[in-house]
Amino acid sequence: MTSAQTSAQPASQLYPGQERFVAPANEVKLEAVDSVDEDAPALGMWQSAWRVLRKNPLFIVSGILIIFILFVALFPSVFTHVDPRYCNLSNSLRNPSAGHPFGFDQQGCDIYSRVIWGTRTSVSIGISTTIFVTLFGGLIGAVAGFFGGWVDTLLSRITDIFYGIPFLLGAIVLLQMFTDVDSIWKLVATMTLFGWTEMARITRSAVLEAKNLEFNTASTALGSSPARNLFRHVLPNSLAPMIVIATLSLGQYIVSEASLDFLGVGLGGNTVSWGVDISNAQTLIRTNPMVLFYPSLALAITVLAFIMMGDAVKDALDPTGRTA
Amino acid sequence: MSKKTDTPEDLATLSAEEYKGWSNYHPSDEDNYNQRNQPVRPLLEVKDLSVDFTDANGKPIHAVHKAGFTMYPGQWVAIVGESGSGKSTTAMSILNLLPGTGHITGGSIKLDGEELVGKSQKDYDKLRGRRIGLVPQDPMSNLNPVWRIGTQVEESLKANHMDIAREKRNEFSKALEHAEVRLRNADDELFIGHQDWDDLIRTTLEALASAHVPDVKKVMHHLRHSWVIGSTTRWSVAQDLIVAGLDDDTAWRVAKQHVTGSDMKDRVAGLLDEAGLPDAATRARQYPYEFSGGMRQRALIAIGLAARPDLLIADEPTSALDVTVQKRILDHLQGLTDSLGTSVLFITHDLGLAAERAQYIVVMYHGHVVESGPSLEVLQHPEHPYTKRLVKAAPSLASQRMISAYQHGDANADRFIEHHQRSSEEVAKSKNIITVEHLTKLFNLPHKKEKFKAVDDVSFSIKRGTTLAIVGESGSGKSTVANMVLHLLKPDKGKVIYEGKDTSTFDKKQMLDFRRHVQPVFQNPYGSLDPMYSIYRSIAEPLEIHKIGDNKSRLARVKELLDMVELPESVMNRHPNELSGGQRQRIAIARAMALNPDVIIADEAVSALDVLVQDEVLRLLNDLQAQRGLSYLFITHDLAVVRQIADDVVVMEHGQLVERGTTDEIFEHPQKQYTKDLLDAIPGGKLKLGLDL
Repeated sequence: MTSAQTSAQPASQLYPGQERFVAPANEVKLEAVDSVDEDAPALGMWQSAWRVLRKNPLFIVSGILIIFILFVALFPSVFTHVDPRYCNLSNSLRNPSAGHPFGFDQQGCDIYSRVIWGTRTSVSIGISTTIFVTLFGGLIGAVAGFFGGWVDTLLSRITDIFYGIPFLLGAIVLLQMFTDVDSIWKLVATMTLFGWTEMARITRSAVLEAKNLEFNTASTALGSSPARNLFRHVLPNSLAPMIVIATLSLGQYIVSEASLDFLGVGLGGNTVSWGVDISNAQTLIRTNPMVLFYPSLALAITVLAFIMMGDAVKDALDPTGRTA
Repeated sequence: MSKKTDTPEDLATLSAEEYKGWSNYHPSDEDNYNQRNQPVRPLLEVKDLSVDFTDANGKPIHAVHKAGFTMYPGQWVAIVGESGSGKSTTAMSILNLLPGTGHITGGSIKLDGEELVGKSQKDYDKLRGRRIGLVPQDPMSNLNPVWRIGTQVEESLKANHMDIAREKRNEFSKALEHAEVRLRNADDELFIGHQDWDDLIRTTLEALASAHVPDVKKVMHHLRHSWVIGSTTRWSVAQDLIVAGLDDDTAWRVAKQHVTGSDMKDRVAGLLDEAGLPDAATRARQYPYEFSGGMRQRALIAIGLAARPDLLIADEPTSALDVTVQKRILDHLQGLTDSLGTSVLFITHDLGLAAERAQYIVVMYHGHVVESGPSLEVLQHPEHPYTKRLVKAAPSLASQRMISAYQHGDANADRFIEHHQRSSEEVAKSKNIITVEHLTKLFNLPHKKEKFKAVDDVSFSIKRGTTLAIVGESGSGKSTVANMVLHLLKPDKGKVIYEGKDTSTFDKKQMLDFRRHVQPVFQNPYGSLDPMYSIYRSIAEPLEIHKIGDNKSRLARVKELLDMVELPESVMNRHPNELSGGQRQRIAIARAMALNPDVIIADEAVSALDVLVQDEVLRLLNDLQAQRGLSYLFITHDLAVVRQIADDVVVMEHGQLVERGTTDEIFEHPQKQYTKDLLDAIPGGKLKLGLDL
C-alpha cells in the first residue's frame, strides 16, 4: 500500500475487492519458459493435410472410387473379355444376356465392354491434360510471378488473351481442322491450349505471395541464387493451390472430352470412348434409353469422384485451415 | 439523472445528503476503506470466470480458470500475461465477443451490479458501445476499408442513438467527484456547432476587447485552438471565457448565445479531434488506407468512446505502434477518460506500461489469475513465482548491459576473436569489422516524380566483437540500412566496408564468401523459416548452398547447432508451424550460426516475442557473442532491449542519423531532443520494478 501511494496515480485508494491477491504457488504448475513438447508427432504440411484428409468421408469415398476407376482403366481385360470393337449388326439393340450385362447398342456392340474400355480413354485424356496444363500453365505463372516486371506484364497479357477465348468454342474451331486425325493427343493438346490460363493465374498469384515471404530473403542472404529460391522455396510453397486446381479441373477435362466427342469434333468412331457412345446413343433416348444411360453413368461417377477428391484436397490444403 | 439548478453559474454543488439519495450509497458501510467518503460501488466485478474452447475433436480446452477481479469507476486496470495466458479471452467474455467455439462455463460478470452472464444477444447489443466500449488490438484490420473514417464513427453514434448535439457526461464522472459533485444544466452540455463558430469567435473578440483584457491576440489564439467544433461544450466555453478575464454574466451570455449544438458531422469531427487526430473534419472524409497505424488507432479510440461508455476495454491498444506515438495516444486517452470518468480495462504484455498507467493489475498465466493488486506494489514486490519471473525478464531502462564471459571493453577481447582468423592474406586486423560510409537509398514513390530518401547519408562502424544497435521508429530507415549492409539492397550512394574491403567491388566468389560471414536473423519468426522445410533442412540449408560437408557431417553439425541454441535434437524432424515463435527464432539463429559467421545482423529479432522468451533469446545471443566473439548489428525500436544488449547505439529518424554514442552516453546523457523524446516515451521507463528480486 505504501508503495502504491507514492505513485503518480490519483486514485491509489484501496477499494474492497482490490486487495492484494496472490494465488497459491502450487495451484498453477510453472512450466519452463518456451519448452518444446517432445511427445507431439512431427507434422509437415503434407502430413497434417493427410491427417485431415484421412478423416474426411468425402476423401475416403472418392479415393476408393478413383482407385477403382484407375484399376479399370489400367486393366480393363480383368473385367471383360469381349472386344469392344467387335460389333455385329445382328445384335443391334439386343437386351442384356449372359456375358453381356448391359446389352448391345445400335451397331450391335457390347455396351458393358465399351463402358469398361472407354474408362481408359477418358481417364488418360483427363490425366494427361491435367499434367500438361499444370506444367505449362504452372511454368508460365511461376515465371511471370517470380520475375515480375515486363516479363510478368507480357505473360499476363498473353494469359488474358487466351483466357478471353471461350474454351469450348476455341476447341471446336481448332478441332474441326483435324477431324481426320483419330488420336487422344489432339484432344489433350487442344484442351491444354485453351485450358492452361486458369492454372497460370493461380500459380502466378501463389508465387507472388510466396516470393515475398521472408524465408526467401533469408535464403538470398545465405547465398542462394534466385533460380534456387524459385525451385527450392517458392514453387514448393505454391504447390497447394496448384494441386487443388488440378484435381478440381481433372473431372472438368473428362467432361469436356465427352462434350467434344458428342459435338462430333472429338474422337472418331474407331476409338472406344464414353463421349462417342453418348453421341451415338442420343437418337435412341426415347426408344432405348439404357444405351445412353450406361456410358453417361460411368462418366458421371468418374467426374464426381474427381471433383469430390478436389474438394477434399482443397479443404485439407486450405491455408486458413492449417495450424498457425 | 441530471439535476437542474438555478444558480447563474449553473455549476451547482450537491450536498453530501442529496448525493446519497441520488446514488443510494451508504458511506458508513465502507468507512474503514474510505476516509474521503468516496462512493465505492464497483463498476465491474468478475468472479470465478471460466471460459472453454472446443477443439476439432469436441474436447474442451480450458482457456480461463476461475478468474476474478474488480474494478471501480474511473480506474485503469491492466491485465498482463504472455500470449495464450487468457488475458484477451477474459476481456472479450465481458463483451460476450468470444471468438469461435469459446463459451463461458461458469462464474459471474457484474457490470454496475447487473449480472451479464446469461444475457441475450439483444441485451448485449444495448450494452456494447453505450456501456462498454472496445478498442481492438490491430488497427490495420479493424476498420472497414471501404468506408470513410467519419462514416464509421457516425455508425457508432447512430447504433447507440446518441444525442449528437450535447454531451452525455458519464454518471460516474459525477459519482467520482462525490462531495463536490457538479451537475450541469442539460443545455450547458451543448457542443459548439459549425454554424456557431464565426459568430462565437467574433463576439468573443469583441467581448474581450471591451473588457480590456490584456494580450487579446494571444488569448484569442489560445481559445481558437482549444475550442473544437463538436467537442467543446457551452459550459467549458463559458469557463474559458471567465478564465480569460470576462465577468461571469458576459461569459455566460456569449456562451449561451453562440453555442447552440452540433450536428452529426461536427460531432464526428469533434470525436476524432478528442482522440487526437488533427484537422479532424478533413480526416473524417478519408479512407482507412490513407491513415497510418497511429491514426487508425486514434480513429478506433474515437469509435470506442463515441457513445461515452462507462467501461472501455482496450486490447493491446498501442502494441503495434511506435513508443512516441504510443505515449501521445495513451496520454490523450488518459486525459479523455479522466475527464469523462471512464474506466479502462487494458490488456498488455508490457509491464512498464501497466506500472505507469494502471492503478490495479491482474497477472494471468495459463488461464489463472496468479496475482493481482495495486499495480506498482505487485510489480515492485512480486510474490507469485510467475510474476517474479515475468518482472525479472522485463527489460527496462533501469536494467544494465547483460554480462557474460565477455566483458565490455575488456582488453583480452582478442582471445575470443582468435579462432576467427581466417585468411593469412588478411593484414593487421582492423578495429571495425563493418564500416558504413555515407549510405543513401532512394525509393520511387508511386505517381510521384521526386524520390523518397529512405536513408540519407548514414555512416557508422561496428567494432569487432561488440553490438551496435540501430534504434528508430517505423519509417526511420533502419531496416533499409540493414538490408544494404546485407547486400540485399543496392545503396544509391555510399559504401559498406567489410574487413577493410569495399563490398560493392566483390565478384561472385567474394560475395559468396561475404554471405558466409555476414548472416541475418529476421524479425518475423513465422516468415523467416520455410514452412515446407523440416527444421533439419532449414538449418542445413546454408551448408547445402555453400556445399560444405556430406550428409553425415551436416547431420552432426545440425545437432551441434541445435544444442547451441538449447533445443532438443528431436525438433529436427519437425516443421516450423509446430514450434513457438521463440523456438523458431532460435532455429533462425541456429541457421545463421551454421556457417560460423563473424557478423549477425538481427532485424527486430526479438520484437515479436513475449518478454520471457525475448529475455531467453537475448541471453542466448549474448552468450554466443561471448563465446565466439561475434559482432552484432541489432536493429530495434525497443530502447529497453538496446540497454540490455548493445555497446554502441545509433539513433535514426526519417532516414537520418540523429545521434550516436556508447549505450551509456546515449541513455544517460542524450544530446538530441529526438533521443530524449524516445527515452521519455518508454512506458514505465523511470519506474524500477522488481525491487526485491
